[in-house]
Parts: sequence; C-alpha cells; structure tokens
Amino acid sequence: MIDDEELEQRTYRLLNDAAHVYRAVPPAAALLRSTLDGLAGPLRIAVAGPPGSGKSTLVNALIGEELAPVGLPGEVVYRDGTEPRAWWQDTEIPLIRTATGLRLTPDARHTAGTGERAVIAWPSRVLRRTELIDARLPAADADAILYVTPQLGEPELRTLRAARGRLAPPVHIMVVLSRADATGGGRIDALLTARQLARRRRREPRTAMVCQDLSAVSPLIAAAARTLGDDEFAAIAALAALPKDEAEPHLLSTDRFTAADALRPVDAQRRVRLLQRFGLGGIRLALTLVRTGSDTPAALAERLQEHSGLKELQAAIASLFTARRPVLRARSALTTLDRLLRTHRNPAAGNLLGQLELLVADAHELRELRLLSALRSGRVTLPREDAADAGRLLGGAGTSVGERLGMSPDATAAQTWAAARAAGERWRALAHGRTLTPAARRAAETVLASCDLIVNRLDRLAAPIP
Amino acid sequence: MTTWETGPTAYAGPVSLAPQPRAVGALLWLDVLDSTIRACGEHGRSELAEWLTRRRAQLLRPELRVLVAGAAQQGKSQLINALINAEVCAGAGVPTVVRHAASPTAQLVRRGSPDADWTDEVGLQDRVPLGLDTLGASIAESTARLPAGAPVHAEVAVPRSLLAGGLVLIDTPPLAGLPGVAERAGADVVLYACDADRGLGDPDLAVLRDLARFQPGLLVVFTKTDYAADWRRTLADGRARLARAGVPAATTAVSSVLRLHALKTGDTALNGESGFPDLIVHLQRTIAAKPDRLARDTVARLAQVVLAELAVPLRDDLAAQRDAGVPDAVARLHATQRRLDDLRKCAVRWQNSLSDEIGDLMSDVEHDLRERTKAVLAQAEEFFAEADPAKAWDEFEPWLRQSLQELAETSTTWLAERTEWMAHRVAGCFPPEAGEVLPPPALASAVDDGVDEQVPGLDAPPVARFSPGQKLFIGLRGSYGGVVMFGLVTSLAGMSLINPISIGGGAIFGGKTIRDESKSLLKKRQAEAKAMVARHIDDVFVRLNKEARDSVRRVQRALRDHFTAVTEDLQEIVMDSLRNAKVAADQDVAAREQHSRRIQEELAALARLHSEALALTGVRA
Repeated sequence: MIDDEELEQRTYRLLNDAAHVYRAVPPAAALLRSTLDGLAGPLRIAVAGPPGSGKSTLVNALIGEELAPVGLPGEVVYRDGTEPRAWWQDTEIPLIRTATGLRLTPDARHTAGTGERAVIAWPSRVLRRTELIDARLPAADADAILYVTPQLGEPELRTLRAARGRLAPPVHIMVVLSRADATGGGRIDALLTARQLARRRRREPRTAMVCQDLSAVSPLIAAAARTLGDDEFAAIAALAALPKDEAEPHLLSTDRFTAADALRPVDAQRRVRLLQRFGLGGIRLALTLVRTGSDTPAALAERLQEHSGLKELQAAIASLFTARRPVLRARSALTTLDRLLRTHRNPAAGNLLGQLELLVADAHELRELRLLSALRSGRVTLPREDAADAGRLLGGAGTSVGERLGMSPDATAAQTWAAARAAGERWRALAHGRTLTPAARRAAETVLASCDLIVNRLDRLAAPIP
Repeated sequence: MTTWETGPTAYAGPVSLAPQPRAVGALLWLDVLDSTIRACGEHGRSELAEWLTRRRAQLLRPELRVLVAGAAQQGKSQLINALINAEVCAGAGVPTVVRHAASPTAQLVRRGSPDADWTDEVGLQDRVPLGLDTLGASIAESTARLPAGAPVHAEVAVPRSLLAGGLVLIDTPPLAGLPGVAERAGADVVLYACDADRGLGDPDLAVLRDLARFQPGLLVVFTKTDYAADWRRTLADGRARLARAGVPAATTAVSSVLRLHALKTGDTALNGESGFPDLIVHLQRTIAAKPDRLARDTVARLAQVVLAELAVPLRDDLAAQRDAGVPDAVARLHATQRRLDDLRKCAVRWQNSLSDEIGDLMSDVEHDLRERTKAVLAQAEEFFAEADPAKAWDEFEPWLRQSLQELAETSTTWLAERTEWMAHRVAGCFPPEAGEVLPPPALASAVDDGVDEQVPGLDAPPVARFSPGQKLFIGLRGSYGGVVMFGLVTSLAGMSLINPISIGGGAIFGGKTIRDESKSLLKKRQAEAKAMVARHIDDVFVRLNKEARDSVRRVQRALRDHFTAVTEDLQEIVMDSLRNAKVAADQDVAAREQHSRRIQEELAALARLHSEALALTGVRA
C-alpha cells in the first residue's frame, strides 16, 4: 500500500524506465517525453460532450470570463498566461475581444494540418492549477474529464464507457447534465428538480460504472452570473420592480418576453440580449431572486451561481479533481503507458506491464477516491457520524494529515498522534466487527488503510533526521 | 390532474364518422394495394403479402392512429397532454395509447410477443386496470409485477371531442428502431417531436428518412417554443435540413406549456400563440383525408417499397443470366462431341499399338526361346564332353527333360506376363473417362492352352557296344605284334619266339590296343549323343516356338476382339449422350429464353403497378 507521494515517484520511475526501453522508437519516445512533462504541469481537465451541449458556456462559467472563441472548429485549450495570447496550430494569431466572446481569426495558411487545436493563454486564478480543454470527444491525454451532456442516455453512456479506460475505476470522470434550467418546462424550481434528479441518477449502478460524480448545472445561467454586468442587473431590477401581474404574462414565452410592446421599462433590444445571456429560465430565476432580497449585483450573482449548480460543481472539482492532482496525473500517465506497452510490443514491455499493474493495485489513493464517491452518492452507506468521519479520513475535506484527522491548526504533535491512534482503533474495530454490512465492512477496511497511512506519515515526520 | 370529464377541448370541428361522398375511383388505391398483395403472393413473398394485408386492414379502419415519436426529453408526452388537455401520458417508460371513450378508463395491456401488433385483441387476463388519478404510479406498480421486458403498453380512453373524431394518439418511449415500432403500433401518421432549442440533428434526420419510406404525412413538431430563444430560426433551419435530406415532412412548432396555461386560464390568444390550433387543424384534416388522400399516399409509398423489393431478385436473375455465358447443357454438348472425337482417335491408336506390340512380342519370344535352348544345348554339350553317354544317359535324360520342361514353363510365364503388359499398354490408349477397359484375365491367359503336354523324353542313342569277344579279338590282334617283336628280340638271345618276355610284350601291346579302341568308341558315342541331343533340342525349340506364336496370335485375336467391342460400346454410349446433350441443349436454350421473357414480363407488370401506385399520389380528389 502506498500513498500519493510514493505513487508519484514510482510513476515517474516507471515512465523513465519505459523511456529508456523505447528510446529507439521515435513516436513512443515522444509520447513518453510529453507524458513525463505533463506529470509536472497543471492538471488537465477536458470539458467534453456532444455539440451544442454547452461546453464552451461551461468553460466561460468556470473561468468567469467570456473567453470561448466564436465559431472555431476543433478543440480549444485554455491555460494560464501572463498576458492574453492565442495560438492556432502552433502559430500565434491575433486575439480580439467581442461582446459574445473572443474572436480568433485563423487565416488559410494556418489551417493546414489535421488536428485543429487552438490554445488560449489567459491570466486567471482558475487556470493556475488546472488547464481546460474544450473538445467534442474526451481527450486521451486529459487527466480528468467533465462530460457535459443535455441528457445521460444510452449513447452518452457508451461514449463514457469508452473513455473510462481499463486501469482503474472512473475516478477521473464527472458528468455534468447541462440542461438543468429547462427541466419541467423551465419553471422557477427547474434547477432544484434537476439537482434532485441528478442525485437520484448518481446512485444508479449504470451511472456509477462510468463516472465518479454527476451534477446538474445550467452553464448558461452560471456563465451569466459569473460575468453579470451592472447594466444587466439594472435591467433585471427594473423588470423585477414591475407588479407581478403585469410582468408575469410576458415571462410565459420567449416570444412574449421579446415582444416590442411588452415590459416598457426595458427596451426590446436589451431584453433580447438578456434572453441570450440568461435564457428564459435564468430571467425568471433572477427576477424571483431580486424580488426576494438579492438587491445588489454581487448578491444576485452569488445566488445565481448557487442556484445554477456552479458552486456545487466547483466544490466537486476542487475536492475530487484539484485536491487529487497527483493521483489523477499519475492515473492518466499510467493509462498512457499501459496503452503504449500494449500496442508497442517489446521484450521489456512485459516486465514494465507487470510493474505497472502492481503499482495500480497498490495505489491506495485510487481506492480512496472511489470510496469517497460511493459515500457521496450513497452507493455505500455507513452510520451517519461514521460516514462523516470516513469522508474526512479519506481526504474528502483535504488531503493533509491535519485535515484528514479534523485537527485544529494549532494542535500539538501529541494530540495528533492520539487522534490518529484513536481513529485507527475505531476503524479497525468497525472493519473486523460484525455490526456492519459486508459492503460497509469493505469500506471500513479502506478507511482503516487510510488511517494506517496517516500513522505512517506521522512516523516519518517524527523520525529523527539522520 | 384535473378531473377527466371537464377541461375545455380546443377546436372540436365538425367531424363525422359517416362515410363522406367519394369521387369515383377514390377507392382505386384499394385495387392497387390488392394487386400488389397478389404480386407478392405470386413472387412467393408471403411475409410481404402478410404485411401489406395488415396495412390494408389498418387503412380501412375509420380511426387515425398518430404515433408521437422522438428522442428522449423532447416533450412528447407533454405534447399529447397539451393536445387533449389531460394528463394521460405519465412518461413512465411505457408506451401509451390514448383514444376516445364516453367514460375515462385506463388499462395496461400485455401483448403476446414483442412482435405482436398493438391492435391485436388480447384476453382479459392480459389487461390490468390502472388507477386513473395516479396513472404514473399505477403503471410503474403494474409493470413491476410483470416479468422484466414484457411487451406492454397502456391504453387510456378519455372523453374528448378531438378524439371522438377517430383520432388515436400513441406516446412512445424514446427508442431506436422507430419504423418497426410505428409498424407494430399500427400508426397511420407519425409526429416526430424535437426540442426547438436543440433542432434537428443528423441522428434525427436518419430516423426521419427511414420513417418517410413507409409513412406519408410525416410531421416534425418542434416543441417547447416558449423556452427556446430563437425557435423560428430552428424551424427554418429544420425545414432546410429536411429539404436537403429529401425527407417529405411537414413542420410545425408548438409550446405545450403555453397551451396548458391557456387552457387553464381560458386565454384564447395564448392558445393561438402555442401553435396547437394549427396542429389540431392539421390532424383533423388528416383524419378526413385518411380514407382517400392519406390512404392513397400510404399505398403509393408501400407499393413503391414492396415493388422495388420484388423487382430486386428478378433483376438479379436477369443479370445473372446475362452474365452466365454458355449454359450448362450447351457446354455438355460440346464436351460430348469432344469425347467422341477422342474416342475415334483412340481406336486408331490402340489398333496400331496392338499390332506393334504383337510384332515385337513375336520376335522377342523367338529370340528368347532360342537363347534359352542354346543355353541348354551348351550345358548338354559340356556334359557330354566328359561323360560317357552309355553310362550316364540315365542320369542325363531326366535332367534334359527337366530343363526343357522348365524352359517351356518359363517361356510360357514370360509370354503371359508380356501379354498382360501388352493388354495394359493397349488399354492405356483409351481415354481415362472410358473407365476399366482391361480384358478379363482369362483372355490374357489364353497362352497357357498349348503347353500342357510334356516335353517328350529322349531315348538313349544306340551305343556301339564293346563286347568281351570284340575286346578279346582286338586284344589278340594288338598282342600279335608285341609277341612277334619281343619274340624276335629274345630269339636272338636264344630264347624261343614264344617266351615269357614276348608274351609279356604281347600282353602290353594287346592292352594298349584295347584301350585305344575303347577310347575311340567313347568319342564316337559322345558325338552321337551330342548330335542327338542337339536335334532333340531343336525339335523342342521349333515346337515351342510354334506354340508360342500360336498363343500370341490367339491373344492378338482375343485382344483385338475385346478392344473392338469396348470401343464400340464406348462409341455407343457417347453417341447416346451426344444425342441427349443435343436435346437438352436445345431445350435449355428455349427454356432460358422463355424464362427471361417471363422475368421481363413480370418486371413490366411490376413497373405497371409501380406507375399506377405513383399515379395515386398525383390524383387529387
């Protein structure tokens, strides 16, 4: 059993060994080099999904800026940079900011080549630790995947099964149901209903087979909330100020909302713009929120983000993806290596493959992630306080020893030791006792392993430096 | 849910079940359909005929079954609910058939098999009554009790004037294999629901293209126009895409939410905005058009599909015939003619071969016999160079007979082998397809007949006997000289002429003379014996040679007769098959011509039917 540091080191060593073995095979060597480079870089999250599912809008919402290029074929990579720059097929191109997003104008001499890929560098806090890839199909070299889809039917499940990979449970996939605002005809409670439905879907084994988590988000509302302008707020406030009876008939349909002679306080053009930005559901929600007390742009934006499901998604990304950067990166690197070893046969490949399988089987981190997701979705149930304890010990609230044990930052070493010992004892008893169901006992064993790792780490910290 | 009885029903135009006056020839489609069904039967496509018969019954039903189809989450159930203002489609993953009835009922119907028609009658035990007010829950409950995957659908009947006109609405769960479901559900018209926010994608177009092959009156309904930001563009875009894909489908856009809201508040303007009045008018027109226009379109489409299918094997057949080249029977005729030629050539060949072989054999036999007899003679001569015939004859005679006997036998065996080999050789001249032509072994062994008799013995040569009297006489004659010679010499010494010495000398001389005489006699006897043996052997040779020649001639005659008979038989057979092949080839050519003529006639008939079917669509009542 190994922890994340060792997992990272062993992955690095294994990749180096493979690079040595394949040094005479140029494509394999190049792939291994880029994989090794990727191990040190930021976490790459692919935002994938069928066309028109709201990928670009979700990227905008996550970054908090209208960055998605307008009318550009192929995939777009967003990464951190000191100043806004853009590349198209490795050639730098000018970048123009418009009201609806960036305009990249690759000319004919740039469009040569097969893989169409634009790279946008943008100074952003979000992008500092992660790199977003907007692509139709889940990119093979991504560390994690956000699969954006209006619905999760059989065709989507098939795509996800293909992207799952054979090495480990799908700890790197999160499904985003992107038509949350239109649930049940776009009523005010559409988003709530959608989130309830998502919670129910999460528990289905069919869904759990292909993803770590599933959440319902309205990318449109989320993006609009992240970039809410003062004039927009003014327009919404003006509409909200109208008597309910007067406004309501005009909120029935998009046609009525944009009709020339309706809703006099805001002129038709601005209403059309509002509709494009928020959607009818978004407008209804925003009006309700303003009426119920969110009377500043900041408060409205905050509430809208909450309702749109963006906050929940961000939290999920933070705890499931960003906090688990090393293990996810190791996973993607190992998957790449696994595929390479299986396609490029080599006398030494068998040995490497054996080491790889051993490493994956040893990686406790992957099991932790899996159990966390099972606990969150309710696929595995533990008694209430045990479940909270288990979530924390597994690193659901942070992966440092203190966070895992739930210690206050100023706790002494002795207290930490005691807490670690106590947790170990308690979970040992649970894992070996007869009070739990078999599934829960297996979960308890995994938590116990986490406790053992915590004790090991404390040992290492306390050991005198030779 | 609102109560079942109340709830305004928008647009209940006057619809009568009474047959409307039809133009003359309006039922022409029935004739075309029947002709097509007959054509299916004639071409042995009973499954197509059965299918068309089902469709025929369906077309003759007064009701109009409208299938609402589409991908998941496209507002199909809401569309039906809004259309009749009742929450009848619970969207529980079970297809729902909604029809008119004076009082509301709901049942879950379990079909016999997944392939069974939905309109088939089912017994009471396969009908589960459902609670009307909690439709979704009771459907879920009832289906849970059935085995998983059992083919079921819900049948809901509500009193609605729109439905009273014979309209039956069918809500389907999202699924692939749509034309099949439309088929089994007995759908006359298909409404394809599509979210106006999403627009028609390539998968939708593929499904629509499939549907359009069988279904006229295809209508694409863009739903949720209240929520879509720019549904007019989606609609125009969808129309353009349909036109590009060549799918003859009408399009309309509706909003179920607006319609339900309008019905609740009695807002006519909002109802107008929902787009439903247009849809209802369209449906009612379709009901009215069912016995004529819709039926004609459907028949035209079905007939086209079926006739095209019927024509495929015929065309293939025709093409195959054209490509097949020389037919079998003609090829067989040619082959037979070739065989006859071969046989003729072979007759000449084997005759030559036989005569050559016989000539060779004769000279070989003679040469062989001669060699063998020479060897025996040489041995005999060698024997008599030493042995005395008078003494050794008894020993010699059996040996000679034995060796000559052996010689005759060897020669016979050898001759038999040669004959057999020759028969093989000649048989080899026949073509392999002639089969086994070797003569029976009895023929080849005809050689043996002549050599049964023994080689005759040889009497001892007359021996010049050397009797004791002759010996005495010759001894006395020889000793005379010796006695005189020695007597004279001893007389000089004073002895008498006859003294012991002279007697001794005489005795020596006499002995010598006797020995010489007997030696010369021996020589004489040996020469005589040799001559006799040589003569004898020569006799034997002549006789054996004669016998061998006779045998060879006999064999030659036998083989010639045999092979002539074989050749004649073969020729007879080949001539026979040639005659047959000729007849078959003539018949075949005639049959093929007739067959292709028939296919062409059938194709022409199908084409006629096809153009009649096409004409159905052109005729406006």
